[in-house]
Amino acid sequence: MTAIAPPVASAQRVRARPDRGRQGWVRRAPLLPALVFTIIVTQLPFLLTLWYSLQSWSLVRPGSEHFVGFANYVAVFQDSQFWTAALNTVILTVGAVLIAMLIGIGLALILDRKFLGRGIVRTLLITPFLVMPVAAALLWKTTLLDPTFGIVNWVLRPFGIGHFDWISQVPLLSVMIEMIWQWTPFMMLLVLAGLQSQPKDIVEAAGVDGARPLQIFRELTVPHLRRYIELGVVLGAIYLINEFDAIYMMTQGGPGISSTNLPFYIYQRAFLGFEVGQAAAMGVVVVVMTIIVATFALRLIFTSFSGTEQAA
Amino acid sequence: MMARSITAEPELTTAAPGRAAVRPKRRRNNTWVGIIGWLLGILFFFPVLWMVITSFKTEAQAYTNTPQFVFTPTLEQYKTVFASGIWPYFANSAFATIVSTIFVLLLATPCAFALSLRPVKKTRDVLFFFISTKMLPIVAAIIPIYIAARNLHMLDNIFTLVILYTAMNLPIAVWMMRSFFLEVPGELLEAAEMDGAPLRRTVTEVILPVVAPGLAATALICSIFAWNEFFFAVNLTATQAATVPVFLVGFISSEGLYFAQLCAAATVATLPVILAGWIAQRQLVRGLSFGAIK
Amino acid sequence: MAEVTYDSATCIYPGADRPAVDALQLPIKDGEFVVMVGPSGCGKTTALRMLAGLEEIDDGSIRIDGKDMVGVPSRDRDIAMVFQNYALYPSKTVGENMGFSLKMHGVPKDERARRVREAAKVLDLETLLDRKPRNLSGGQRQRVAMGRAIVREPKVFCMDEPLSNLDAQLRVQTRTQIAELQRRLKVTTVYVTHDQVEAMTMGERVAVMRAGQLQQFDSPTELYDHPANVFVAGFIGSPAMNRFDGTVEDGGIRVRDATLHPPEGQLRAAKGHGKLTVGIRPEHLSVGGEGELTLEVALVEDLGSDSYIYGRLAGDADSHVIVRATRDHPYPGETVKVKVDTAHMHLFDGATGLRVGE
Repeated sequence: MTAIAPPVASAQRVRARPDRGRQGWVRRAPLLPALVFTIIVTQLPFLLTLWYSLQSWSLVRPGSEHFVGFANYVAVFQDSQFWTAALNTVILTVGAVLIAMLIGIGLALILDRKFLGRGIVRTLLITPFLVMPVAAALLWKTTLLDPTFGIVNWVLRPFGIGHFDWISQVPLLSVMIEMIWQWTPFMMLLVLAGLQSQPKDIVEAAGVDGARPLQIFRELTVPHLRRYIELGVVLGAIYLINEFDAIYMMTQGGPGISSTNLPFYIYQRAFLGFEVGQAAAMGVVVVVMTIIVATFALRLIFTSFSGTEQAA
Repeated sequence: MMARSITAEPELTTAAPGRAAVRPKRRRNNTWVGIIGWLLGILFFFPVLWMVITSFKTEAQAYTNTPQFVFTPTLEQYKTVFASGIWPYFANSAFATIVSTIFVLLLATPCAFALSLRPVKKTRDVLFFFISTKMLPIVAAIIPIYIAARNLHMLDNIFTLVILYTAMNLPIAVWMMRSFFLEVPGELLEAAEMDGAPLRRTVTEVILPVVAPGLAATALICSIFAWNEFFFAVNLTATQAATVPVFLVGFISSEGLYFAQLCAAATVATLPVILAGWIAQRQLVRGLSFGAIK
Repeated sequence: MAEVTYDSATCIYPGADRPAVDALQLPIKDGEFVVMVGPSGCGKTTALRMLAGLEEIDDGSIRIDGKDMVGVPSRDRDIAMVFQNYALYPSKTVGENMGFSLKMHGVPKDERARRVREAAKVLDLETLLDRKPRNLSGGQRQRVAMGRAIVREPKVFCMDEPLSNLDAQLRVQTRTQIAELQRRLKVTTVYVTHDQVEAMTMGERVAVMRAGQLQQFDSPTELYDHPANVFVAGFIGSPAMNRFDGTVEDGGIRVRDATLHPPEGQLRAAKGHGKLTVGIRPEHLSVGGEGELTLEVALVEDLGSDSYIYGRLAGDADSHVIVRATRDHPYPGETVKVKVDTAHMHLFDGATGLRVGE
């Protein structure tokens, strides 16, 4: 018989785990190319933008650039057009994100049920997101929102709307509608992923416990969906703050600057006005704004979704 | 009728031989959902559908007060589009898309591998960094990029776009590929190790076949974003390296806003990506959420 | 074929406060079938993986055929492993799965095919060689995992709970197949399971582990007849051994109101231990007659050939007693007298749990 007395705990005498020093480099090597490439192509330009923002520099007067410190920033903050563009950006982003998310939730709820042809409907619903943004903007401007020949006015004619000129009368709204059309599928897909990741047995248990569908939705589904909705809102906001194609194509920021957002305004300054210094300063301001929003995004992505999914 | 929980599946039992067909109880309940679903689906799809329909019209048919749904289709708009020299733009877009996607995969796959299967310290920091680059507005970077391209004589050069698209898609690709690598069961790698496979062969014979669908999905997603990209293309190219989105804009300004024509041009421009997106549907969510969601 | 020796082998995860495997000492003979068994977290799987090279040996050593395996990578140890979830390569056919390691070691194609075919014949896999794992049933996958190991003709087989994903019937069937196979091939096998029935039926010797520490390493019979401590006594054997608190008194061991009289030698060894835990297997208790213990019957499991009576000692609501009986058994609610076969009592020190006497 081999009975064993409790052994002496040998924790103090353990040998060291193999030195990962040299192995560490082998492990790190594969990620270096991607990392180095990204640093060069993305960080350098941003640093340069910072530098340019401290210069007074117009491309039409080459060689005239000189350091002016924060003068550009002061000019930017005093520029009422900048603030209009900023306001437009906020309106567009908030409006488009919220409405797209609301519609997206509704669509996701529908797609979560089984019905005949569900797969096809899903394919139809994601298509707006796939359409090239400039093409989408073009379509909306012409075939849909044209005052005379656009189909939207034709549909609204019985309601007395008739010949409404969307692009000139409500440019910001028109752009917002186009953005909502393009981004609702994104919201829908995220929320749908959330719905489908809800463990079925928890829902069944609630049913057995006597909960009605609406109660189940409120008590179980909504809390579970919260982080998907949050992710959609934050990611959507980050993408939509930078929306350029739609404005370029639909309104060119007009009439006046009523539909100019920050990216378009910066573009105008840089490529139409050749004011590099000022445009750079505005760019930095937009970056700061985006970082604030992005911090939320990153926290969400890492904390909510780190590793594998957990039950709600 | 008893209320059922929202997401319970209809239970289609396999009928025993000789038994009558199953009663589709739940279908009745979901018919209304189905009808609404179809209506909304058609509604959202309608602009695209209208675009395609209009592209087969003559301008006279397109410019009617009441939209025409029934008409004799014609290919004349497409003829105009192709006659206006779209092919070089197509070639540029294809080149930029394909080459940048290949670069992306070549760079992202080992990177994602290092960040998942053989975790390095600071994995989170690296991932964080990649995402942060996507969150910086391009408008902030465009000026120095333009100036650099100008000084390097890289304006109107397709490789400029290739480089930029690679950088644009790398974060998405790294995150997506990493999420696919994380799905490889650890036991599989241990089995390969016990079977005597050196790392190189474990990767080629065991890991890559398992993540191959993920590679394909990542490639498709990156292609979609590269093809549709406009801002860099319009600012950094002119005649030689212009891509399809630029063509579209140019087509409008030179030909004017003629509905049928522009619909044909738009259809040609958008069709490849729409098809790619339909194919990669399931993987869209992964790409859009940086691999956080499956 | 080789001897395997765990020599004070220890594995402690960085940051953990106790070792996962604590100075494990296991001398395994050439060709022996050893089972490591214990509850979850006992370290049995870690110990197996240390042998396979998938976990570090932080202290002590593990020797295969006399050679120290510290620092030796898995692929150089000549060990084949059967994983709990089979770990079959999804993109390869059954034949390719089985031949993979031969391919990695540069074995020529014809030889590979021959060896794969032989192993397939042994495991009845010949018709499945061209299928992919996703088209196999659970039992078939399990056989492929075994085939992959057999083909290699290694020094040692490591098996990590290979039956746990099979349904009960298949499990029993496969159990005997594995045992027969090992007897035929005579390869040293280390097998991990949490199921003590598997351990008892398959192992030549069984290592019972708990919280990283080896409790006893013996043949199944020895483990059953002479458990080294209270834990082993309660773990091995189903239904579990009855355990009562007892004290040494003049002339006997006192349990509740009864005084039990073990053999002279055992009683002598027990003196000086004060409090004891008395262990009696259900088959060494019998209902009726001049029983020393009084039992309130709560539940009866009638298995046809015999039955098990579950109940409480009179006056001790927290006690649990199991008695094996025949078809002729009392019913729930009855109070019966239970006689103890004092020749088959196990005594353990009340404080340390270690066995007292023979």
